[in-house]
Amino acid sequence: MRSAEPAGALDEELLLRVEGGDDRAFRELFARYAAVAHALAFRLVRQAQVAEEIVQEAFLAVWRNPERYDRTRGSVRAWLLGTVHHRAVDAVRREQAQRRRAEQAASLGPTVEDDPVDDVLAAIDLPRDRRLVRRALTELPVEQRDVIRAMYFDGLSQSQIAERTGLPLGTVKSRTLLGMRRLRASLEGLER
Amino acid sequence: MTRDHALIDELLAVRALDGLDDDDAALLARELAAHGDCDECRRLETEHAEVAGALPLALEPRPVDPGMVDRIVAEPQRVAGTAGATAGTSDELAERRDARLRRWQTAFGVAAAIALILAFVLATRPDVSVPSTLVRFEGESGEVAMAYTPGESGVFVWGNDLPDPGEGNVYELWMFEGGEPISGGCLSPTDGSVAAFVDADLSSAQQMAVTVESADCPDAPTTDPVFTAELS
Repeated sequence: MRSAEPAGALDEELLLRVEGGDDRAFRELFARYAAVAHALAFRLVRQAQVAEEIVQEAFLAVWRNPERYDRTRGSVRAWLLGTVHHRAVDAVRREQAQRRRAEQAASLGPTVEDDPVDDVLAAIDLPRDRRLVRRALTELPVEQRDVIRAMYFDGLSQSQIAERTGLPLGTVKSRTLLGMRRLRASLEGLER
Repeated sequence: MTRDHALIDELLAVRALDGLDDDDAALLARELAAHGDCDECRRLETEHAEVAGALPLALEPRPVDPGMVDRIVAEPQRVAGTAGATAGTSDELAERRDARLRRWQTAFGVAAAIALILAFVLATRPDVSVPSTLVRFEGESGEVAMAYTPGESGVFVWGNDLPDPGEGNVYELWMFEGGEPISGGCLSPTDGSVAAFVDADLSSAQQMAVTVESADCPDAPTTDPVFTAELS
């Protein structure tokens, strides 16, 4: 992925203004990422109210402590959406009904109706970034895609995936790494 | 000497997707600590984080409650909430964070353990801040301390010169809320030292304690505390 691109630079600029107490900058950052963050949280927790709470908590943390962002560890987008993902996964793993939901989610076949990797051909009219990420996921070898989808979009741990698929744990990890490397190469053109 | 990054690369990839189990998280912590200030580790971490951070873009955006942003900005900012505060550059922000970390690292006797655990947690959990409050435990032998930020989840715990808890035993951390003990997890010292990050919220805790327990980490203390601390 390219670094120091306009989108990433704008995000950093907005975050600096947020640190100065600029709520307009925060609102702009919120407008840029809240809906994606909400989609991610909902995809993981499958409960609208919980997903909204996760998004609100994550953005509240950004509003209160914008200085926690460290540009040497990646883009604002990666930091922000990573925070949402951490919180959503924590919620999933705390949830008493996690086992039942995970079993539904981890069939490792096609899952929810808007699965990001299922329908790239119908995605011609999508915004460029979404199309690019969907295509990158679709182009992964299926065994790598399934592991990454189960881990990231369904919130399963490496050992849960190994248990459910019967794969050795080492295979789950190696497929994850190979998939991540391939995705990185495919997403070179994505703005940070 | 060139260090091998194959294991770290694999574990960082899994961690970027939040799929790491506790034992592999501990293994990754040890590996990263062994590599120290390692540019290649940082590069791998950033690259995996960027890939993971791009994945949600594949999802169909889901609008949020239009009132949410108003509710958020109605909350006071903790750090820079005063109007007209100087934001500084990103480099300055990073420097402030590093300076806080350095102060913590040099402020206490068990600096190595603190540095290791702080550096690791801050590297792996971008949502965790450098703690603002230090609490030292009272005990007859050895020392235990913890650091946290009131109102936030996450507690750094470390100990030094701890007596061996005995064959098959561990130290267990307890938070007392209204007199009810809640386990903060078990700690196994190595050569009398231990450092750990506990993902717990102390907002409702009034006292802390450490007991010696069996390795199965019971849900309630079975022995008298060997360390205690009062939270103000």
